[in-house]
Amino acid sequence: MNENEILRIENLTKKYFNKTALEDVNMSVEKGKIYGLLGPNGSGKTTLMKVIAQLHKQSSGHVFINGNPLSYESKASISYMPTENFLYDSFKVKHAVKFYADMYKDFREDYAMNILEEIKVDPEFRIAKLSSGLNGKLKVALALSRNADLYMLDEPLNGVDVLSRDTIMELISKSYDETKTFIISTHLVSEIEKILDSVIFLKDGRVELFGDAEELRLSKGTSVEGLYKEVYKNV
Amino acid sequence: MFKLLKYEFIRKYKLITMTLISALVLNLYLLTRGIAGSSSFLLLFPLVLAVLYVSDVIRTYSDDLNKKSGYMLFMTPNSGYKIIMSKLAAAVIEGIGMLFIYFLFILINGAFIIYQTRSYVDINEVMNDINTLLSGNIGINLGHVFVFLFAVLVFAIGFIVTVYTAMTIRKSIFSEIKFGGFLSFIIFLGLNWALTYASGEFYSIVSPQYGSFVNVTTVSASELLVIMFPVIAVSIIQSIILTFCSGYLLEKKINL
Amino acid sequence: MEFNNNIPIYLQVIEKIKQDIVTGRLKSGDKMLSSREYSTMLGINFNTVARVYKEMEMEEILFTKRGLGTFITESPERIKSLRYEMAKKQIDDFVRGMEQIGFTREDMIKFIAENK
Repeated sequence: MNENEILRIENLTKKYFNKTALEDVNMSVEKGKIYGLLGPNGSGKTTLMKVIAQLHKQSSGHVFINGNPLSYESKASISYMPTENFLYDSFKVKHAVKFYADMYKDFREDYAMNILEEIKVDPEFRIAKLSSGLNGKLKVALALSRNADLYMLDEPLNGVDVLSRDTIMELISKSYDETKTFIISTHLVSEIEKILDSVIFLKDGRVELFGDAEELRLSKGTSVEGLYKEVYKNV
Repeated sequence: MFKLLKYEFIRKYKLITMTLISALVLNLYLLTRGIAGSSSFLLLFPLVLAVLYVSDVIRTYSDDLNKKSGYMLFMTPNSGYKIIMSKLAAAVIEGIGMLFIYFLFILINGAFIIYQTRSYVDINEVMNDINTLLSGNIGINLGHVFVFLFAVLVFAIGFIVTVYTAMTIRKSIFSEIKFGGFLSFIIFLGLNWALTYASGEFYSIVSPQYGSFVNVTTVSASELLVIMFPVIAVSIIQSIILTFCSGYLLEKKINL
Repeated sequence: MEFNNNIPIYLQVIEKIKQDIVTGRLKSGDKMLSSREYSTMLGINFNTVARVYKEMEMEEILFTKRGLGTFITESPERIKSLRYEMAKKQIDDFVRGMEQIGFTREDMIKFIAENK
């Protein structure tokens, strides 16, 4: 095993009662890199993240985190941000922070409070009343305030205004260091491609393309976005 | 476990407080209607409370499984077994709390009724009543009450575990199928049928030993416990097995 | 800094730093931002900047003092040769383009002299 490998996926398949969401997915994700998980809606991005986060269980195949097969204990080293509004509506922002602090040993409460101040989310706000931009920023802030090995952000730019998008990208850049790995799913490729090391293209639940972003630009002479448009033009 | 329990109650404290306050207000209002009002409250309140309790206990787990906010709970690094057990523990504590509150209302209204009929409270008489109850002179004593309450608690847990297991099965093996709520109900009926069948078989083996009690008119509390033992034991065993199954499904098969 | 996403970003950053050095915006011996600061500032990937620094160290335009950071070369000769390399590249590109539209070298020289 590559000692830089944080996540390894072997022959992963996810079938539901009446449909197949992931089919024979294989990949090796290295420490200290930012991966873009790209593909249109329904290509399997969210399902892949949910399987790694164990909100969904795979039908067959194996997933290893730091060389260990997935178990509930691996959730302690994965900071996952679902794309949905999953924070308890009845909570205030500060309650959500407290919840994270109580549930995750690696959560840095001061760090979180600093970010919240920076992005102007009042801890006294009730979550049900947050605008989608603030809610999106809060979700990212909470996920990034954990000191995890692997961060999985599902569509962090979705439903968020342009200014908030910049803030979110900045937060991600700032929280990066060489010991951390990010997988960021999005269909807004042009906005995110500059911060990516590698890209993973999913198509109909399969890995269509996996590679280093700069190498792809060099060899194909086009941006990741250009490549994206080419791969999915008939979708 | 403690932290999981803590958030179970943080999430429902508002509902509980609101229920209590409205119950209190209703009770005060009915007290102005005299004894009839007070006793009708005592009759009605447990029924309403029971319905509220069961629906609350079912709803909280259903929300965790079916709403996106359930991710909050299931993202945390806790095993499925721990999660289901904390859910059950919360349900049991809530149930005991409800019973306790009902007793408080009995005390309040009881004192009121006595006061209304006599215009005074005779401490000696009250002590006498308690003595009668304790000594079992009226056929039952506190022992009976405790055995009865214990049995109710065990059956309630059995019921809740069965409902939880039905919902867990639907969110794991039969996930992504439409009409989820209805499907859960069908699974619940199926589970219940299977459990009744299995326990029926069990009783037919055990019951001959219990035939001697059939003609007894008055039983002591300990005898009552002995009589009810098989039913209680079966219910406990069922609950343990179903909890384990739910935990396993949450751990290995869930699709939230 | 605006990037063209069709070209590897590290190449664009290298170009930009080289320009800043030969035009004097970055001075010989100046300390560069850390990879982290620079990547956050440009809004690009950390490893991209790390790669830029590594490549430019190999070209002896940058050098690392252990524990202190990355600095611009203190050799005036290297900066001079860098300026020459860059000019050479511009000329090559220009000549190639002009040849494609039928100019000879002599035509080009004459053309430049006439179009001041």
